[in-house]
Amino acid sequence: MITAPKRLSRVDAINWNRLQDDKDLEVWNRLTSNFWLPEKVPLSNDIQSWNTLTHQEQQLTIRVFTGLTLLDTIQSSVGAPALMPDARTPHEEAVYANIAFMEAVHARSYSSIFSTLCATRDVDDAFRWSEENPTLQAKSELILERYRADDPLMRKVASVFLESFLFYSGFYLPMYWSSHAKLTNTADLIRLIIRDEAVHGYYIGYKFQQALAEASAERQAAVKEYAFELLLELYDNEVKYTESLYDDVGLTEDVKKFLHYNANKALMNLGFESLFPASVTDVDPTIMAALSPSADENHDFFSGSGSSYVIGRAVATEDEDWAF
Amino acid sequence: METTSLAEPNREMSAKSAGRTLDYHALNAMLNLYGPSGELQLEKDREAARQYFLQHVNQNTVFFHSLEEKLDYLVEEDYYEAEVLAQYDAGFIKALFEQAYAHKFRFPSFLGAFKYYTSYTLKTFDGKRYLERYEDRVCMVALTLARGNEALARALVDEIVSGRFQPATPTFLNCGKRQRGELVSCFLLRIEDNMESIGRAINSALQLSKRGGGVALLLSNIREAGAPIKHIENQSSGIIPIMKLLEDAFSYANQLGARQGAGAVYLNAHHPDILRFLDTKRENADEKIRIKTLSLGVTIPDITFELAKRNEAMYLFSPYDVERVYGVPFGDISVTEKYHEMVADGRIRKSKIDARAFFQTLAEVQFESGYPYVMFEDNVNRANPIAGRINMSNLCSEILQVNTSSRYDDDLGYREIGEDISCNLGSMNIAKVMDSGDIGTSVDIAVRGLTAVAEMTEIRSVPSVANGNARSRAIGLGQMNLHGFLARERIHYGSEEGLDFTNFYFYCVAYHALRASNRLAMERGESFAGFADSDYANGAFFDKYTERAWQPRTEKVRALFERSGIAIPSQDDWRSLKASVMAHGLYNRNLQAVPPTGSISYINHSTSSIHPVAAKIEIRKEGKLGRVYYPAPFLDDDNLEYYRDAYEIGPEAIIDTYAEASQHVDQGLSLTLFFPDTATTRDINKAQIYAWRKGIKTLYYVRLRQSALEGTEVEGCVSCTL
Repeated sequence: MITAPKRLSRVDAINWNRLQDDKDLEVWNRLTSNFWLPEKVPLSNDIQSWNTLTHQEQQLTIRVFTGLTLLDTIQSSVGAPALMPDARTPHEEAVYANIAFMEAVHARSYSSIFSTLCATRDVDDAFRWSEENPTLQAKSELILERYRADDPLMRKVASVFLESFLFYSGFYLPMYWSSHAKLTNTADLIRLIIRDEAVHGYYIGYKFQQALAEASAERQAAVKEYAFELLLELYDNEVKYTESLYDDVGLTEDVKKFLHYNANKALMNLGFESLFPASVTDVDPTIMAALSPSADENHDFFSGSGSSYVIGRAVATEDEDWAF
Repeated sequence: METTSLAEPNREMSAKSAGRTLDYHALNAMLNLYGPSGELQLEKDREAARQYFLQHVNQNTVFFHSLEEKLDYLVEEDYYEAEVLAQYDAGFIKALFEQAYAHKFRFPSFLGAFKYYTSYTLKTFDGKRYLERYEDRVCMVALTLARGNEALARALVDEIVSGRFQPATPTFLNCGKRQRGELVSCFLLRIEDNMESIGRAINSALQLSKRGGGVALLLSNIREAGAPIKHIENQSSGIIPIMKLLEDAFSYANQLGARQGAGAVYLNAHHPDILRFLDTKRENADEKIRIKTLSLGVTIPDITFELAKRNEAMYLFSPYDVERVYGVPFGDISVTEKYHEMVADGRIRKSKIDARAFFQTLAEVQFESGYPYVMFEDNVNRANPIAGRINMSNLCSEILQVNTSSRYDDDLGYREIGEDISCNLGSMNIAKVMDSGDIGTSVDIAVRGLTAVAEMTEIRSVPSVANGNARSRAIGLGQMNLHGFLARERIHYGSEEGLDFTNFYFYCVAYHALRASNRLAMERGESFAGFADSDYANGAFFDKYTERAWQPRTEKVRALFERSGIAIPSQDDWRSLKASVMAHGLYNRNLQAVPPTGSISYINHSTSSIHPVAAKIEIRKEGKLGRVYYPAPFLDDDNLEYYRDAYEIGPEAIIDTYAEASQHVDQGLSLTLFFPDTATTRDINKAQIYAWRKGIKTLYYVRLRQSALEGTEVEGCVSCTL
């Protein structure tokens, strides 16, 4: 159970055998068993497939991934560390440390994709594009503002929106490719990232709900209003960002539906009601089905590593197991 | 192999968002989402298959006015092998195609159709248009394998189109095509402890991958890291660098073809490099030693289990010293038999590790990577009726045959050509065979089709394989759709009735396969090399069938066989078969092997192999296909309970089922173990111990399913909840 909320002022040795909140251990276990590195995915098997994309499609893909790299970088170096001082338990802090590290792995893994598939010049161009793209910069500014400000609840709100909403305009594309039999190993890697982000958004949202429940009714109402305000602001910007990326290939409307779906999902993680009605969240079923984070797909082992393996729990055998 | 891989020439990104009618991918994906009232949307998949033809296949198929026009064109343009068609007269060929089309074949699932058209059918050289329908492919396979025998060609067409027999991918894909790879799937090569052999192995890996085969290599004979070279100590760098070379060889060959070059390496558990070998698959392995795409297998003798039982250390023995002491390579001795002798022998360098810790490490690596495969060496050799030793398996862990070493001259030529292993496979659809009622004919035709592949194949680039094939004519007849059949008949997989059925089905197959091979020996007037030294020749093999009566334990299974009109061979049937085999021999050294059947089971609309389904609605991902969804055969909203998936069924019921089948299969059966992510290494070890005790020969992958953390699932997603 949760004791009185307090910010941790001094550092005590962390004792995982005295839990204030079981959720911390559950999520810690999940995150550690989900540990992975990009080297495990045979990205080079996508080289042939990459070469079947038109130049325009390749450029779109690289841009989308640089956009995602930026978000992961923010989350790793600013976002997760910014949540640490607000942690309610030492274990929560440890979970954020894990989140920060895995976000760095995610940011790293896009570079693995680039170095495997793309020409250096194209990648450099895309990074320049990301620095100059106004909507991408606006999105990062909107989030960073909240991270820097002095409102712990809004820090979590911003973080959940980033984890559960903002990533998905980018995640759409590899899912789209994979449902069309392209870049399937890259999609495996992205699915590993999605697997992580789903847990991050859920956990931060959970901690947010705990904190919010202890606030006064006025404060609760105010936070909720700020949250929706921020979401709408992010949404307007995200629509522009989406149009700038996807208009040329005609996928904008579909991506928007995906944004609506995930915005609702982000609100759900915060414990709020949905914003978008079902009529505008009917995402293309191939994308929906490709998204499934419970990694139980059956793959051909000779051409991919799949996203279903985890670090196991080692338990020694006992004499009774060897009774034959 | 085909080198074209353009999956769907007709689909443009921009055409997508405008589409009002759902395209076939979207329809297929709806299988993985519940309908409005929570029902499975199976009809969406059938609609997807239909739309796939309407929207894509029909528009992209080259049209011909007549069969004659088509065949002439395909031969003239170098698509078809003229030699295949030249063995028959035109009237017969026309009648054969008519016979095939008269079956009115339709793909029951989207994935079946999609897989067939993306990976099997003949396409124009630019990869954009289809030149064959399914029936055409079947006829070309039948015409190729029958080699001018009209009756056999007709029988093969009926067996294949009806779905009772499905040749493995290389055979089904390549037959009759001018630009093609080999008809054989699978190769197993020894490596001896010298540089000539290692170099040959890498060369063979390249050559065989180029031809589309999967290659397994034996590393057990190679001296360990730190062993002497030319008597100078601490020189050898062991097996890891060889694995690296092989991995690179396979991925290089892979770039040339559409299908992946794929390889596996096997190592004995008592090889000194065993822990390093396993560590190559660790999640945090250093890039210098990490093995990404090469598959690993470990051969474990009985003694390792005995030592673990007593919680003792297990000794690892230097293959370099063992070969010098015993005069044969490490892979050719039984570690169980010689263990204590080798421990006591001061001439053999040894190290020790904790036996239980070894098993735990094995399970940890399986958790992280699914590897290694496991071959229970002594179970395998006890069940082997052929003289000689089995020391490795293959990429799918179902091929188990004896081999002998080759020796090389200084110029890398062969001083002595040994026997390496190749195997061509094909699988029968259990449900279809049971429906037809004539299992004897189906098995006979299948054995003839597979034997034709063995006879037509000569892998000249690897003389030891050509030699082994010529002497053994080994084939691997497999089975699939066991779970589909059981579920249709409302029998639970792994139940008493399920086990009883599995036992008797395989019992019948074994009888008819031996009979077919015996008939071939009489027709051809010869047996495989080494027949005289086998347990077939002295009759000992038949004891288990002649000395007691085999009868179904359950009424339900008895009734199933009666309904099918399939007679269960009696003791007397076996006695007369025994007499005939002892008198006339067998044509094939090996007859059965049950492969995992990936692609072909989708085309054939089966559940894979004799496994339980991995999911009621399976999410299938492959390089060429992307993500596609496949409904279990015969599944509907009323019989869901009989489709408990492999993770729910658990390892014991799977092992029990395989044990029933194993006793009638001369080679191996690919057996994957399925665990939820809550399992521990101890659970995996327990399953391995259980499998070993039940006489299982090999274990294939360990698969894990991680359930989504509550609160993070995709809404309405079937695979999350079913």
